[in-house]
Parts: sequence; C-alpha cells; structure tokens
Amino acid sequence: VSLAELEGRARGILGRYESRKAAMLPLLWLVQESQGYVSQEAEAWVAGLLGVSRSRVHESVTFYHMFHTQPVGRRELRVCTSLPCKLLGAGDVLARIEERLGIRPGETTPDGKVTLTEVECLCACEMSPMAQLDETFAGPLHAETLDALMRAALEGPESSTSLPEPEVFISTAGPVLSTRFADPEGTWFERYAAGGGYVAARKALTSMTPEQVIQEVQQANLRGLGGAGFPTGKKWSFVPKDSPKPKYLVVNADEGEPGTFKDRYILERDPHALLEGMIIAAHAIGSHKAYVYIRGEYFRPAKRLQRAVDEAYAQRWLGKDIQGTGFDLDVVIHRGAGAYICGEETALLTSIEGGKGFPKLKPPFPATSGLFACPTIVNNVETLACVPFILREGAERFAGLGTAKQGGTRLFCVSGHVVRPGVYEAPVSATLRGLIEDACGGVRGGLRLKAVIPGGISAKILTADEIDVAMDFDSLAAAGSMAGSGGVIVIDESTSMVEMLESASRFFAHESCGQCSPCREGTGWIDRIVRRIVEGKGSLSDLDDLLAIAHDMEGKTICVFADAAAWPVQSYITKFRGEFEEHIRAGRSAGRAVAACPT
Amino acid sequence: MPHLTIDGREVTVGDGTTVIQAAEQLGIFVPRYCYHPGLSIAGNCRICLVDVEKFPKLQIACNMLAGEGMVVHTQSEKAESGRRAVLEFLLANHPLDCPVCDQSGECDLQNFYMNFGLYDPRFREVKVKKKKAVKLGPHVMLDQERCILCSRCVRFTDEITKTGEFGIFDRGDRAELALYPGEVLDNLYSTNVVDICPVGALTERDFRFKVRAWYLSSAPTVCNGCSQGCNIDMHFVLDRPHLNDGARLVRVKPRVNPHVNQWWMCDEGRYGLGWLDRNRLRTVRGPEKSESTWEQALDAISAALAQPQNGGARPRAGVIASAQLTNEELFLIREIFQEALGAQVSAVVPEEPGTCDDFLLKADKNPNTLGATLLGLAGADALPAERILDEALAGRLDVLWVFVHDLARAFGGRDLRRLAESVPLFVYSGTNENTTASLAHWALPSAAYVEKDGTFVNCHGRVQRIGRAFPPLADAREDWRVLLDVARRLGLPLAWRGPEEIFQAMASTLAPFAGLGYDTIGTLGADLATAERTAGTTAPWSTS
Repeated sequence: VSLAELEGRARGILGRYESRKAAMLPLLWLVQESQGYVSQEAEAWVAGLLGVSRSRVHESVTFYHMFHTQPVGRRELRVCTSLPCKLLGAGDVLARIEERLGIRPGETTPDGKVTLTEVECLCACEMSPMAQLDETFAGPLHAETLDALMRAALEGPESSTSLPEPEVFISTAGPVLSTRFADPEGTWFERYAAGGGYVAARKALTSMTPEQVIQEVQQANLRGLGGAGFPTGKKWSFVPKDSPKPKYLVVNADEGEPGTFKDRYILERDPHALLEGMIIAAHAIGSHKAYVYIRGEYFRPAKRLQRAVDEAYAQRWLGKDIQGTGFDLDVVIHRGAGAYICGEETALLTSIEGGKGFPKLKPPFPATSGLFACPTIVNNVETLACVPFILREGAERFAGLGTAKQGGTRLFCVSGHVVRPGVYEAPVSATLRGLIEDACGGVRGGLRLKAVIPGGISAKILTADEIDVAMDFDSLAAAGSMAGSGGVIVIDESTSMVEMLESASRFFAHESCGQCSPCREGTGWIDRIVRRIVEGKGSLSDLDDLLAIAHDMEGKTICVFADAAAWPVQSYITKFRGEFEEHIRAGRSAGRAVAACPT
Repeated sequence: MPHLTIDGREVTVGDGTTVIQAAEQLGIFVPRYCYHPGLSIAGNCRICLVDVEKFPKLQIACNMLAGEGMVVHTQSEKAESGRRAVLEFLLANHPLDCPVCDQSGECDLQNFYMNFGLYDPRFREVKVKKKKAVKLGPHVMLDQERCILCSRCVRFTDEITKTGEFGIFDRGDRAELALYPGEVLDNLYSTNVVDICPVGALTERDFRFKVRAWYLSSAPTVCNGCSQGCNIDMHFVLDRPHLNDGARLVRVKPRVNPHVNQWWMCDEGRYGLGWLDRNRLRTVRGPEKSESTWEQALDAISAALAQPQNGGARPRAGVIASAQLTNEELFLIREIFQEALGAQVSAVVPEEPGTCDDFLLKADKNPNTLGATLLGLAGADALPAERILDEALAGRLDVLWVFVHDLARAFGGRDLRRLAESVPLFVYSGTNENTTASLAHWALPSAAYVEKDGTFVNCHGRVQRIGRAFPPLADAREDWRVLLDVARRLGLPLAWRGPEEIFQAMASTLAPFAGLGYDTIGTLGADLATAERTAGTTAPWSTS
C-alpha cells in the first residue's frame, strides 16, 4: 500500500484529535500496519501531516519499541523474558525458539518468515512463560504449546494453526469486577444491559449532580487501582469548575507493570463496565471527550474495546445527547507502541499529544493543566470499572467490602511459582497469605515460599514471613512495600535473588525513558553492576555501591520511575544480603531463576 | 510580588519568577545544564536541585516558581548531596576525554565537578559507546559520548530557528543526540548550539584543536557584519603566534544583550571576520607603491588639502566615507571636510543587499548606516558616492579620499584605472588589500573596528560601543587618529583627544545623541533620543 493510498485514512485519524500532532502514534501504526515498517519516506509523510519536523517523528519511532525502522519478517514473534516469565523458564523458552528459528533476537529468518524479538513484560504473566505471535498471546509455553506456536509462526499470517487459549484461573465470582468474566468471547451490550448494565450511568446522568457523584465515590473509599491508590473522588474534585477550557477524561489502559494483567480482562471480557464507569466519571468532571490509552501490545483488548465503543455509540450511550439526557461524550481509543513509561499518567498524556513518552514537569498537575494543557483526569481501567457498582449498589456496600480507608475489592494478578496463577477478585482486606495459600493453592512443586512481590515489579519484596498482611494500600505501605498494581509475584525457595534482581534491573534500564539524568544513567549503571555480579565478577563492595546508587536515584526525578527502579535493589539486597554475598564469593548462584522449560 | 528567602537572604521578585532566577537576583548561582533563559524549561538534567522548606523532596530551581514566604537552601547538606549525586550520574558514562576535548577549560562538567562534586567516583563498568567526531554541518562537530542529553540544542532548533534538525533518539541510556538521518546542520544560526552546549558534545569545527580555551583573551564588542549590531565577545590570542597560524582572532561568541540579539548571533557574522588577520594593509604606501611613513603621508595629504588652487580657491575635495566607520570618525569627516573644507562627502555606497531574515540578519551589511544617516552622510537625502566618483573621473576634483570601500566592488562597471590620472591626489584608507588600495596614490592602513574605540548605531536606533579588543595590526592606525592629525596639520581647532571626547562633542551638537556618553552607553548600548527610539526599544524578536 502506498502512502498516497493511506491519505484518506490518515485524514480520518487526524479528525479525531484536537491537535494534529496527537495523531503521531495512530499515523505511525497506520504506516507500519500497511507497509510493515516505518521508512524514512513514511516519517517525512507523517511529519508533513502533523506539521512537525522529521526529527520529532523519528524520535517517536525510535522511542516506542514496537515500531520498526527496517523491513521485518512476515510474522513477529515477541518472547517475554521479564521477571514473571523468567521465573517460569522464559530463558529456556527463548533459547529453544532461537534454536528452532536459527536466529537471535532482533533478527529475521533468512526466508523472511519470522522476526524474533525479546521483549519486556507483555502483561500476560498468568500464562508465563509466554510469547506473542503478531497479535496473539500464547502460553504457558511448554513442549506442546511451543510446537504449536512455532508451527503457526512458520506457516505465515494465513496459518490455520490456532493457538489454544491458556487455561488459567479467572475469577468470576465478583462481587464487583469479575462477575462477567466467564465468557472468553466477552460480554457484549445486550448481555451487559440485561444484567443491570448502564443503570448506574442512567442514574448519574438523570438524577445526580456531578457533586453528588463525586460525593458518592468519595464515600465508597474508591482508590486509584493503577497503583498510586489516590482517592478517586478527591481526584475528580480537583478539576476546576470555572475553567472555560474543555476537560478530558483519560483512561490509563497502558497496563505494563510486570506481574499485572487485570485490566486486560476488563477490556476483553467486560468492556462496557469500563465505558459505563467512564460515562459516570465524565459527568462528574464535566468532560465530553475521553481517551483510552491502551498499550500497543494489547491488540485484542483494543479491538474488543473498540467493538464495545461502537455498540455504545449505536445504543446512544456515547456520542451526542446520551439517552436523551443532553450529555455528550466521545471516546477515542489511542494505542501505545511499546513503552512502559507511558503508564505514568503524565507520560501517557505526552504520548497522546504526539511526543515521546516523557513524564511532564509538575506543577502544573493534570487536573488543572493536563492533556492539551486542559484540565484532565487520568484514571485506571479497573478504578473506573468499579464506579458503576458503586452507583448501582451504593457507596456503603462498596466501602463495606474493604477497609476503613479503601473500599471494594481488587483484581489480584497472581503469577510466578503458584499452583494456580490467574486473576483473583478479593476484598482488599484479604491477606497475602490467604491469597497465595488458599486461593492459589500455594507454592507449586511442593517447594517452600521464599518471597513475594505484592504489587508489581516496582514493589519492595516481602519475605515468606512477611505475608500476613492485608493487601489494601495502607497495610502494604505499613509493611514497607506497596499494593501497587495488584501484581502478586510468588517466588519459591529455589530462586536466586541475584538473578531476580538482574531481571528487575534489566527491565528498568530497558524502560527508563531517559529524560532525567539520575534515572537514565542510574538504571543502566545498576543493570551493569548486577549483570557483572551474576557473571561472577562481583565484589562485596558492589552491594553498598548498589544501595548508594539506588538511594541517589530516589526523589530526584520528574516521575517516580527512578524510585521504583531503586526499590527492588534496596529490598532484595537488604533482605537477602547473605545470599548476594554468597553469590559474589562463589561467583555463582546457589538457587536458580532460570527454571527449565516445563516439558 | 512574592517575597522569599534564599540561603538566609531575602528577596522580592516579580510574579512568575522561578527560584533559579530569584537566586540569580541575589547573586547566588545555582548550577544548570538544561536550563537556558532563552529556551523553554526542560527540567531533565536535575543539577539545579535545591532544598525548599516544607517540600520533602528536593525541587528543581528552574521550574519552581518563587512563592510567598518560601525558604530555599542551595547549600544545605541535602541540596549538596543531591547535586553531587546528579553529577555523578551525568559523568557515569562520560568519556572523560578532557585532554583532547576543546570544551576543556570552559566545560560545566569540569566546573561543577570542582564546585559541587569532588566525590570519589564509583563507576567501574564499561561505558556506553556512541559515535564520536560526527560532522553535523559546515561548522559543528558532535561527540555523542560527551553529550548529557540536556536537549538545549534540540530546543534551540525547535524554538529559535524552527528548523528541527536535532532529535534525541531511542531511550534510556541508549538515548542519543543526533540529526535526523541524512540531515545537515546548516541553518543560518547553526553555531549557537555550540555556545549553548554546556559540555563538549557540540564543538566548533573551525575552533577544533586550535587553542586551549584558557589561552584565550576575550573582549566585548559588537558584530559589524550587518546593521543589527549583535553583541559579541571576541576571543583572541596575542602572545602565542605559534597557535592559530598566527591569527589573533580565534573565535567569536555572542554576548547577551536583551535589547539586540538576546543570546544569539548568526553564522555569517560569526565567520565573517577572517579579514581581521588576513590580507591586511600593513604599511603606509605612497605614490608608485613606495614604502612610506605616516608622517610623510599626512604631510603630503594635508599639504594638498591646504594648497590654494587657481584664483585662491580652496582645493576641490571629495570624500567617499562609509557606514562602516564609527560615528566619531564620520563626525570628524563631516567637521573637517564638509564644514571646514567645503568638500563633497558621502557615505552612500551602493551595495548588493545581503542575506536577511526576520530574526537577526539584516540585508544592510553596514553596521552604522543609521549613524551615518543621522550625520547627514547617508540616507535618501544624502549625496550618492557615485556623484563624487563622477566628479573625480571628470577631473573636477583636486583630492579624492576613499574610506573602507573598494570602489571596484561598489562601482564595478566604471573604469577606475583612470582615477589616479583624473585626480591629482587619490587617498585610500582601508584595512585590507584591494583594487582601490592598489590604484590610490596613497594607501593608508586603517585599524580594524575592533582595533579602535567608537560607536555604531544599529538599525533599531541603538547606539553601541565597539570597544577595542586589541591594538592595530602592524602600522595600521585608527581612522579617527588619522583624521585628527590631518585636522591639526590644517590648523583646525579640534581639540579632542580621542573617541570619547569626539562623541561628547557630537552629542552636544546632534540632537539624537543628546545626553549620551560612553558611560551611559555602557556595554549594552543605549537607545537614541529620536523618533528612532521607538524602533530601537522594540526588540527584533518580539516583532517576528
């Protein structure tokens, strides 16, 4: 397809955005999906359409790792080697794939069939070790599934080999978020509406003022489930009422924290719950335009949400004069392209605006000056999916499910060395031990628990005897860690903490946006020291250096990524110092992080 | 108007002032790499971290607005250790190739390490390898390894020239500064990125390995490349003739003047001063190209100017002056030739308009056209120089004195070889060898403008001193000195001893200069007291 032939579609994309530059990522996706990669000619074409220099376009193409600057194979196989997959043998999986294809990551088979890419977390850790073939997730990869994957990869895009849906535990019991998770094909409008869907949105639009909605959400003690735990109602109340500027609701569906995969289930299986939450939130903050930023690797979630959006427009739950209430709301789905940092709310806004995913200087804060310098509220998918329940069932009921300061339930994403990995809905007052030992069936293979990362890879690690803790934000903070994104990574006794840290450090070095010097240089520095230790070239003084570097990175950057990168270093080394010292003295690990691929 | 305390000292600043600016008002320097007052705030280098009471984390002074009652510490242990940490990160992957780096001696990595760092380095890993010695264009060289990714150059080409050549590609510690693939950095202002680069990443190709920065002397002056009069610093060496092929001028840097050029200058001006050390007129040359002396020349010229002609009439003299001369020299020419000798005088010399844009570059390549106009020697009503040339070629002049301009360039179509025969005395005062110098009976070596003091009036009506960077080359003399010597020999009552006194005399007789003196002009110039004042106070960038 020539660029000229894309002109019409490009115009359509440009029409969705307030600013031309904001069409950067969708135009680059358009080019890549039509031509296979983004050529210099295409960069110039995009630059012309956006009214920016080619340098700005090239910056984005090189910043977002899903874009290719060179032609690639007919299929792309992305193999995740991030921590949760690594715990379950991703290293071995990658080695086998390399052997089968005869290429290394970053290369394309000589016949042009497959390009192999090693990627950081694809947020499908419940099916670890896993990979993604073009748009489809595959896992857990053991001998049989790996065979199917390789066949499909080599057969080409028109392959009839289907990749089986992974069999993992998916909560369907609710009460808040997972009641419509049973159908792997998703819950669509008719069924959603029949089961009490859009009742809450109708209630909000017809009988509640924005203040009443905010009040209700505040009473429900709903807190931001993306990871920060900020009270949602309070956040909404920060939007200035008197601002003449348009206000934006932005949904953070850039799920990227290793160990987290809950939002994907909402997007794929219950997308109308999100849309209904968005309508209510938009009403509360006076917004008539909402963006949903979905990570680039989430092809199917984006398609399913688009289908739900189309349904909602058709049913007059989106668009002009929703259900005759006079309230307007338009929704644009905006796809990322491979950058963890875009989950940081201001980086996400910069990314929508067409820039590299650089977090913004604060102040100003998004509530007063966010997207396109207008008042903006950024909420996580899961947070918004709780809102219809709150309005339908009442704040009291929601609040009663949780603790005094955090209402409701959450979707806990359990991965790693448990018998039953999966997505579990549980009250936030549930304990980590209960979740792991009762719900998930405990540590697999009869091994003992060594440690747990309770809230995604950024969270400080807890040792086996620190897990009698409730999983709400405050309890886990008091325990010296954080609830974060609800990604619970379970680690058994055979695991090397040194290799764990190597994996975590590599992740942060790979994903640092590079804007602030302490983070850009610090993450790379830590990564290289830890790698050196793993290779048996460490010295005992390295440990103090690592702690000092981690300390020096903390609190000095635009966003908290650097802090998040520091926490694993500090917690792993502090809590398992003996093991690190032993590794350094012996030049190798006693444990193993690189599990063999289960056969 | 917030009132705040920085390092125990109180200051009241305007609304919208940042902490880094407020500190500056107190003379407290907060280190900075990415912050540049002429560019948008990036906030990425983090070196300007300061300790603000009631804030748990250190804050960057460049982005933090001064607030009422704010208490800031730039020297607290917390602030100092924060800065030290940032510096160590910035230097972690830095190649530390100071011995072969042109920035050495004026590098803010070196400076801040000595002032704020002095830690024991802990980095023992293999450094990230990037490209070195990349020619970006005719003037600028890039070393990616030295780059600290402050993005000043990216913002310069985005916000000032709007040419967008630079980008920071990839991310994390693989991020690298580069031009768009295949792009050349060749905009009209390209070398400014070297000036604003706080480290040795962007260096001047022309300056490469020529002179260590610490051997350079510096003098403030203005660029004479066009009528904008950008303020510049001239960097030169006088005592190391083995360097720079013996040329004194090594490089030119823009000097900040908020009224004229802000922080910037064009490449044309920056690289337009090679003539200062090349192909200069070095000695006084008399008739038949004979070696001569200033005494002989001045005697001969004065004698001719004083010689009564047939019927006792004054000799008919014509002077082709120049808008490249200072106001002081033009004023002397006017007083001596026009007023005292009744000569025809003009500074209206035809020239092809040069490169211009809506930023700094002006088509008029003379630095003092407005000054010459105020003195009545240029402008629409002034006598065109060609009329004087006509008179000379027609044999109706006894003396022709040409300053600065090479007539061959200005009047290429005319047969100038006859001039020496048509006029009994043909004098040329100029800085460089050219056709006119070779045709004239007397060729007098003039001091270049940076070899003398004086003033220009730029196109916005701002009078600026050019200062004197270094003494005249060889036998060259300042034109004002030569003119005063001639006046003395002619017995004219001009008692001024130098440019400052000449300026005072001019200011007392010419209304636009009224009330001005070298003190009030200072290093940043002053707007003239005329209708042009309006134009002069309007900064050129605010209109474009």
